[in-house]
Amino acid sequence: MSNDNNRKSHQNNDQNAKVGEKLSPTLLRYWRRNWLNIWNGNPPGLILLLFGFVIAAIMSIPIIYVAWRSAFAGVDRWLRLLDDRIPGLLWNTLSLTFSVAAFAVTIGVALAWIVVRTNIPGRKMWQWLLALPLVIPPYVGAMTYIIIFGPSGWVREFWEDTQLLGGIFGSYPIDMYSFWGAFFVLTMFTYPYVFLIASASLRKMNRNYEEIARSQGFKTSQIFWKVNLPFLRPAIGAGAILIILYVLGDFGAVSMLRYTTFTSAIYFQTSSFDIASASVLSLVLIIITLIVLWIEARTRKKSNYYQTSNSYREPEILPLGKWKPLAILFVIFIFLISVILPILVLVYWSIIGIERGALDADFFGYAWNSLTVSGIAALLCMVLAMPIVYLKSRYPSVISSFVDKLSYAGYALPGVIVALGFVFIFNNHIPFLYHTLWMVALAFVVRFLPQAIQAGEASLSLVSPRIDEAARSLGYPPWKVMLKVIFPTILPGVLAGGALVFVSSIKELPATLMLRPPGFDTLAVRIHWEASESIYHQAAPAALLIILVSVIPLRYLLKKY
Amino acid sequence: MKKSLKRSLFGVSALAMTVAAGCGQDEAESGDADQQDSGDTQETEQEEAVDQDPGELVVYSARNETFVDALLNKYEEDTGVEVQALHGANPLQIEEEAGNVQADVFISNDLGALGYLERQDLLEGYDFDGIDSIPEDFRSDDNEYFAVSARARGFIYNKDMISEDEMPTSSEDLFDPKWADVPNGYAVTRGGNGGMTGHVSALRHEWGDEKTSEWVESIQENAAAITQGHSDIRRLVGQGEHAFGLVNNYYFHQQLLEEEDNVGFLYLDQGEDQMGTVANAAGAGLVSGAPNEENAIGFMEWLLEPENQVEFVGESLELLINSEYGVEYPEEVEPHIVDFDDLKVQDMPITELGNYFEDTQDLIEQSGLDLDLR
Repeated sequence: MSNDNNRKSHQNNDQNAKVGEKLSPTLLRYWRRNWLNIWNGNPPGLILLLFGFVIAAIMSIPIIYVAWRSAFAGVDRWLRLLDDRIPGLLWNTLSLTFSVAAFAVTIGVALAWIVVRTNIPGRKMWQWLLALPLVIPPYVGAMTYIIIFGPSGWVREFWEDTQLLGGIFGSYPIDMYSFWGAFFVLTMFTYPYVFLIASASLRKMNRNYEEIARSQGFKTSQIFWKVNLPFLRPAIGAGAILIILYVLGDFGAVSMLRYTTFTSAIYFQTSSFDIASASVLSLVLIIITLIVLWIEARTRKKSNYYQTSNSYREPEILPLGKWKPLAILFVIFIFLISVILPILVLVYWSIIGIERGALDADFFGYAWNSLTVSGIAALLCMVLAMPIVYLKSRYPSVISSFVDKLSYAGYALPGVIVALGFVFIFNNHIPFLYHTLWMVALAFVVRFLPQAIQAGEASLSLVSPRIDEAARSLGYPPWKVMLKVIFPTILPGVLAGGALVFVSSIKELPATLMLRPPGFDTLAVRIHWEASESIYHQAAPAALLIILVSVIPLRYLLKKY
Repeated sequence: MKKSLKRSLFGVSALAMTVAAGCGQDEAESGDADQQDSGDTQETEQEEAVDQDPGELVVYSARNETFVDALLNKYEEDTGVEVQALHGANPLQIEEEAGNVQADVFISNDLGALGYLERQDLLEGYDFDGIDSIPEDFRSDDNEYFAVSARARGFIYNKDMISEDEMPTSSEDLFDPKWADVPNGYAVTRGGNGGMTGHVSALRHEWGDEKTSEWVESIQENAAAITQGHSDIRRLVGQGEHAFGLVNNYYFHQQLLEEEDNVGFLYLDQGEDQMGTVANAAGAGLVSGAPNEENAIGFMEWLLEPENQVEFVGESLELLINSEYGVEYPEEVEPHIVDFDDLKVQDMPITELGNYFEDTQDLIEQSGLDLDLR
């Protein structure tokens, strides 16, 4: 058998050599050697590689296009924008981003520490209860807090009806439509990213280090600062980056809370079709995002924290003692304002809505639109993720990691920029797809493909390459191995990825808003519009439906960290 | 746990499959419809009326969705044509799509936007049945667009917070920073709003660009709130959140329907030597190269029928240009309706607005009022 194989490959080589000699043998040989070097002597088939390239190209085209257009916006416009628009936007965007990141990290780490390392009652339960805000899209959260604290909100009504409050503290002090409103809402609905990551690494922390510190006479608080926190640094960094990228790209919450950041400015410019200005602003935002990613990559390289696994012992659970009531109060408080209160508001308005007939044919039409377009996006992602995952894990090289990196472009960047690129390209170059639901679905693919890639990767890493080799030795080309052998094996992971994409797509707001064809409104779009018109009884049922659907992949998300 | 995860995932994928299958069907259906369409056009060449499939109509609208929806629903019921509406559309979208025309009809509450599209040759003239009911001041020369309802600018104010004689009376008054100091200040809309764009155009006609930029800068500096639309302003003023706000008259009419009866309204510049209030109008235009041109023309003619002109006004409580068609206003509003003829209106014809549209957008963008919200 192996003899056979050898002979075969020998023959192949001969053939190639013959062709090569006819042309320019040295050049071809040089090229071939390099080619083999790149792939460590194991190049993937041409078909597979082509697939990978095409996908990576699709993923990156919108961004390249935006950058390209902004280069031709003209010096005048650049100067004008740099002069009066960009400084204000920079300040608004960056101050919000970093304040939210700082607070969300603090809350996330504190909660993780309390839940993982102390004897707070109901530890297991809190571990997933506190991750629940992940299923509430921040724009829905913003709406619920406008209902509670806004200018015609419940608290204000109460304030004005109560003479005493008005007498002591003067007029109603809370303004949701401000920096603080946006800051509060975004913090409350993003902290779970840090909470999950920090919990995971706290759980892995080795008890030995703490015991040594204790034996040296450290108090618990000192241990937290000197031992635990340094070990948490990678986790905190990863969580902070996630939050920073999220806030930089958030459109729904800030626009509902009337706080102008880069994304909402780009949205307004695009919807008034001032494409040149929109692309200039987009380029600035792209640069900010790249700087953030670059910093992340650098810090990750610079600092390494090692834990020895052979002497691993589970971390000890600390008694809370006199701090118990305070810790319980803190955990309950956060849970109350980030999950219970918003859900109660939505349920309250949904009941009113259903009584007034909000669940009419229109509603189911919007739900159907959401379902269709998200379903298509999920299917496309499951299919398209495969070649990239397969290339990256079975044929690691500069080229495959380049393809992999490119496919993350649309994921890291804000949705408004992806949408802006799509408007350009489809309107001018692919008119037959312009204003179809395929355009919206493809935008979702560009935005969320990496979720499917990650899920696929996780599954594929459990499948031994020996299986591939066996299939190859039986004569399958690489793309066929991927499709016929690997795909069925890692199907559960691929489906999980599809579910993640499905949920992200259902929640997605800015790209849907900017790309939807006439007459094609989705639930997210309706929520956005109805909330801006204060028609809460119609917005609430749609919001609840989105939240219910989002619960589906939550388990998978929790397991991932 | 793992099993149930698998099961739920299987559920999702099954869902996705049915969705995909559903789409396939949709496609097949629409494909059929297309074939029918082409069949229809062939037949219409031989005989006129084939009403098997009335087809569809794509409407871009820059007007408040609530008002337009009622109108479009009535049109669907009357004719069976399926309407695909894109609300919140900007006229420049039609310009951007000129090489790949999507819209059949553009509805706007700023005649400047329609005028601009006409100047760019993006609208098509047609001799509509019933066009004579619209006065010539309210339509373009070749009827590329026409207006149905009119509105005028003014201040809505909260009577509990400020009395009529303490109020500013003109656009010019807003140069004075003292209005920032009225209780809780005043509110204006963002410059991207059609009503504000028309207002700025009118001021440029009256004052020239320099003074108008200064005006935009002063309201931007002195206003306590800059909102996305006028509905926010009327509510905020009604709630006492701000003392007054700059809006179109029909928002005052809408606010009269709220529980509390605490708002008043002042038309701008009504004094002897003043310029007269800024007027604008809402209407519709026929997009050139419309994919469903026949339906588009049908819609425009349908809109010109008296009962549909009344429907166009609908819940917006605007003034119908043909007031004799009898819009019925709620009893709370009726006494406050001022007929358009009784107002002192700025001398620039409304159809002129289109000539100012583009530069007005630039002026507003330079001032930054197009984005600011607070």
